[in-house]
Amino acid sequence: MSAINAAPITATDSLSQALKANIIPNQEYLLQGSVLDSAVEVLLHRLRGLCDNVDAGPETFDDQEVCFSLRDPSQQAVPLMLRVRKALDARDMPYQLRYIGQPDLGDKNRPTVVRSSLDIACSGMLIEFLNELGCRIEFEYSVKGYMFRKGRMKITVAKVFKISQSSMPPEPISQSYLVELSVLAPQGQDAIGEDMRAFADQLRPLVQLDKIDYKRLGHMAVT
Amino acid sequence: MQREEKQLEATLHAILNRVNDLKSAIQALITKLETEYETIHWPSFLDNYAILSGHLTGLSKILQAELAPSLRSVVVLPLQLGCERDEELSRLTEGRVPACTHDLVPDLLRTKPEPQAEQRLQQLIHKASTLNYDTAQKQVAQFTKVISHVWEIISKGREDWEGESMRSAGMQPTHSIADTHALVTAVGTGKGLRPGMPACVPPGAVAPGMGPSRGPTPQMGPAAPIMPKAPSAIKTNIKAANQIHPYQR
Repeated sequence: MSAINAAPITATDSLSQALKANIIPNQEYLLQGSVLDSAVEVLLHRLRGLCDNVDAGPETFDDQEVCFSLRDPSQQAVPLMLRVRKALDARDMPYQLRYIGQPDLGDKNRPTVVRSSLDIACSGMLIEFLNELGCRIEFEYSVKGYMFRKGRMKITVAKVFKISQSSMPPEPISQSYLVELSVLAPQGQDAIGEDMRAFADQLRPLVQLDKIDYKRLGHMAVT
Repeated sequence: MQREEKQLEATLHAILNRVNDLKSAIQALITKLETEYETIHWPSFLDNYAILSGHLTGLSKILQAELAPSLRSVVVLPLQLGCERDEELSRLTEGRVPACTHDLVPDLLRTKPEPQAEQRLQQLIHKASTLNYDTAQKQVAQFTKVISHVWEIISKGREDWEGESMRSAGMQPTHSIADTHALVTAVGTGKGLRPGMPACVPPGAVAPGMGPSRGPTPQMGPAAPIMPKAPSAIKTNIKAANQIHPYQR
């Protein structure tokens, strides 16, 4: 009887409860690197040897990612960036809306980049919704490659393509594959970083997975 | 007289001991070679040679010592030769010398090389002494050249072998930091992905061997910079040329 009298548990309540209990995996631990096209086969071979999900060959993916920005018209603050991803090879899968926070590199004792990350599965109406909100498309690209898992770690080896306006074949950004090693975990689970370092070391010297601050790189390229 | 005989006997005894040591060492070496050739650990096998050389040094020390001159004044005189099998001799030599025959004795008692060999040696010495200095220098240079070629081939082979066996670093880089930065920046900030901007390829980007894995390489736009040729590929070419060189001569 008391259950009926008590206030009904709303979604907000359970969310804040989950936040309090710190069980939401909203931190992404990330290491990045690349491998030249000529050496990608060797890397895939090594990953097949190291990872879990390799019984039926490596999992492939072919995604398109569109990055939206939401600017505050009154201020010159950094625009809010939202990323929408859809699978080109599995059309019935939901869209993925993703927010990625500022990467935190920490000092050199921290093994990986840490950034906050929120993922939500959405329907195809998402793009219209974002447009209605006032979001603008900043850029888009497609990624096509392979995904591996090792415990909680996710390893992707993928080619990044520029989306061409005409019917030309998509143009790769570089002669290399982007390699990312990431784990989503709740805040404070820094121990996973050490595991990632250990795994990254096993891929050396084929690939050098590192903490990379693209913001700093962007400035360097400009100046 | 008594004293001298005693000294001689002691010397002979010492020499005999040394020779026996040497013999057993050689026997151990041969046994090892014959029975354990499949499992042998070659570096430690080489230690056996060190033992042999130690025994040989000991033997020559005794022969050079003060006691040796007395041996030199002793004459060995073959009294009787025969083709019949001598059981005693056979036993003493462990079956190696069954009889004191005419083929063996000259070799056993020989103190200088065979006349034929001596003659050839003389010829060679003469030839060497009359050789022109320049010719000699030229030949030495040629020999050095040949040796250095062989050395080159061997070290190249070793490099290849080690590179293959370790599969590490290798000669060709497998990743490029410039590419990593280009990719990460592109995905992170959209650099080079925004419409109306040229493809983002840093001028220093290394791009060896256009990947054959992805079908035909997409055509670069007219504005795209020409890819610099990979330094690694050039290096490999030079090495290949070196390898060919010795056979042209």
